Amino acid sequence: MTILFVAFLACAGASALAGALMPRQGRVLASAVLLIGASTFALVLAGRVVSTGSDFTWSRSTLLPLGGLAIRLSPLGALFVILSGLVAAASSLYWIGYAHHSLNARSAATAFCLFVLGLLAVPMAGNVTTFLFAWELMALSSLALVAHDHARRRDAIAAARWYAVMTQGGAVAITFSLAGLAAHAHSTSFVRIATGATSLTSGAASTFFLLALVGFASKSGAVPLHVWLPRAHAEAPGPVSALMSGAMVNLGIYGIILVGRVLLHGGEQWWWLVVSAVGGVTAIVGALYAATSKDVKRLLAYSTSDNMGLVMMALGASGLTLATGHPAVAALALVTALVLVVNHSLFKSTLFFAAGSVHAATHSRNMDELGGLARVMPVTALTFLAGTLAVSAIPPLNGFTGEWLLFQSLLHALGAHGVAATITVTLAVAAVALTGGLTIIAFVKAYGITFLGRGRSASALEAHEAGPTMRVAASLTALACLVTGVAPYAVIGVVNRALDNGPNSPVAGWVTLRLTPLTGALTPLYLSAALAGAVILVVAWRALVTRASGYARVATLEPWGSGRHNQTARMQYTATSFGEPIMRVFDDVLRPDHDVDVSHVVESRYYLEHISYRSANEDIVERALYRPLARSLDWWARHTRAIANGSVHRYLAYGLVALVIILVVVQ
Amino acid sequence: MSLSYVSLLDLAVVVVMVTAALTLWRQSLAAAVKALAVQGVGLAAVAVILGAHRHDLVLVGVGGLVLVIKAVAAPWLIGRVVAHDHAAREASPLINVPASLVGAGVLTLLAFAATRDVVALVGTPAGRLIPFGVAIVLIGFFSMVVRRRAVSQIVGLLTIDNGIALTAFLGTSGVPLVVELGVTLDVLLAVVVLQVLVAQLQRHFNVHDLDQLRDLHD
Repeated sequence: MTILFVAFLACAGASALAGALMPRQGRVLASAVLLIGASTFALVLAGRVVSTGSDFTWSRSTLLPLGGLAIRLSPLGALFVILSGLVAAASSLYWIGYAHHSLNARSAATAFCLFVLGLLAVPMAGNVTTFLFAWELMALSSLALVAHDHARRRDAIAAARWYAVMTQGGAVAITFSLAGLAAHAHSTSFVRIATGATSLTSGAASTFFLLALVGFASKSGAVPLHVWLPRAHAEAPGPVSALMSGAMVNLGIYGIILVGRVLLHGGEQWWWLVVSAVGGVTAIVGALYAATSKDVKRLLAYSTSDNMGLVMMALGASGLTLATGHPAVAALALVTALVLVVNHSLFKSTLFFAAGSVHAATHSRNMDELGGLARVMPVTALTFLAGTLAVSAIPPLNGFTGEWLLFQSLLHALGAHGVAATITVTLAVAAVALTGGLTIIAFVKAYGITFLGRGRSASALEAHEAGPTMRVAASLTALACLVTGVAPYAVIGVVNRALDNGPNSPVAGWVTLRLTPLTGALTPLYLSAALAGAVILVVAWRALVTRASGYARVATLEPWGSGRHNQTARMQYTATSFGEPIMRVFDDVLRPDHDVDVSHVVESRYYLEHISYRSANEDIVERALYRPLARSLDWWARHTRAIANGSVHRYLAYGLVALVIILVVVQ
Repeated sequence: MSLSYVSLLDLAVVVVMVTAALTLWRQSLAAAVKALAVQGVGLAAVAVILGAHRHDLVLVGVGGLVLVIKAVAAPWLIGRVVAHDHAAREASPLINVPASLVGAGVLTLLAFAATRDVVALVGTPAGRLIPFGVAIVLIGFFSMVVRRRAVSQIVGLLTIDNGIALTAFLGTSGVPLVVELGVTLDVLLAVVVLQVLVAQLQRHFNVHDLDQLRDLHD
């Protein structure tokens, strides 16, 4: 096992060196191949930890200050390493093709490799110092990647700024939390902290948990700390978006489980009520903005927020039922949370790969400028469709099982004691239902507007299919979505082992998933077969009816044209118009800015000369919370500048006064 | 012997002190630079006298070094800047001369008040004079605050450094040569940098007054 770990470290280090030192020719290829090697070693290592169920440990006390470098890969961490490894390997493959467009500079290549190293190292950390080191490695290298195109795009700078503030603020909270726990246990080792935490007072434990929650939830894009996510995920280059959305946000969930469940042993009921509530709000806000967004990567990013909200609801339900004495439901909900994480990683990396290919081919993310790409980019369209079906929880793709498990967990959690718990769980069920509907609207829009119909701009009409490695990477993750959709136990089995559920797994079965000891069963295979049969039946029925009724002559007309001729691209639905009903229904929540500008012909007011419509849909949290905050900070900064007005004499006088005060006080 | 050592030491320290006050009193920059040179001589004398008394050759060597750098090299460098600038006067300091002399007096009293414990602790004839060292630091600082001209700032900075060196000589049984060498050369370097800076400022912007630099704000 140590050999595997050392090989992983060596490959990851070599990839970063290759990125930093190789000439442009072959730089990305070398780095990516080495990264795939590193990911493979990490995957094999994590796979062995999961299958044997025993931790892998490795430490060098001289490599880092304060406790040294300590690796302790538990089965739970190994699950996240497997996820990060899969997404990282696929992203590295995708990167080889993507590098023809951008992301081939020396700094970007190095940052990419360090980012992957960080993603794989965070769940391996065995003490606080190693964890924070890996966490910062991940945060800073991804920050560099978000900002890498800053010279050409102003939005990238804004995104990087938001990301920098939120991620570093979160890191401060996490540092305080873990440092506090370490101080209490007199050790930075997670094992010692877990044993020491039993003697923590309730107030201290709650403080540490809430601090950790702030930091980790901001990484997972929880409302109201999510504002960085749609900006950074949208601005980052294709493979980086996939890594951030497919692997990095997971580590926020890992952090919450680590601190809440492993280090603090589950804690108190109200912690998990908070987690559930935050998750519910996040899911709804994320789904709502995904449904109204017209930037395809922004839509995907909001959907990431939405999915992490669902995961947090499941986590909350698990903690809640554990605290109220329903261990069976708690185990089921925890499995659900992790299954949701795995599914999300697979389908969201597929979607971001496809969206990255679209962006690379058309240089646009605005769906109002895209359209008709299914004809020119068939493979990309097919992979995006697979991701769309998965995220919308439609069998036979993997999202379906996750959604079913989530409903099962929440419905069983309704039996938890306490008024607050009952209300929260009831609302959570409603939130999941609303979110599911909004997600379908968002993704019908994402696929339909981007890939169907006609191209809305020259760049969309001239697009070409993505390079071979990009297609292969997207196809592999899409295939994984399909396989884990038809045989979900492939995921659930690994999750069961990672959680050490033993023979009494809350959900098991290769063909039929059965909940034990609770009631509930699902056979995704039959469901998929039935669905496929239904589709075949419809197609066959249509062919039959057409033939029988003697409609031999089939008129060929424009698609989506209501049978009309002379259809133009501007007659189609756009992303904006498709989202308009949602915008109206949720007008009081979203409060979009509409601006209709009408100018009449001078002679007659019945004729229009020109009409323009603009709508801006800025994030309500950003507008209501962060703008005033930024304004007050700005005001404060401007007024404190009065004491530092640039006069050398004034600064010297401050120094003299300080010196005199010190002399008077100390004498 | 003992009496003459104490008198000589007193004399040298008074020279340093008076020249520090002189830099505040005289508005002519040339005079201030001359006072600085004399101050360097006084400081060197303090080191040599202490060295001779303690039979410490290294300290005498340090005195020589101080003489070369603070009494000759630094004033000469600053003098070159002043020479380019005829009628170089500190025309309108932020606080006028009588008031700044009163300020220097107050700071001196403060220095004496603040160092009573240190004086009692050291308990030697040399230690008795430590308040002067602290007072000179404060006066140097004060002159940097109230003077507008860039050259006056350099003079103030060197006065602070002289005050620190004086305190070190009087308070301890001599600073290690390496440390003194480092500090003194640092000061020389700082003076060179500042000299170049001030000369360039005068040439390019025709600026003598540091506060005018604020006009360069964007």
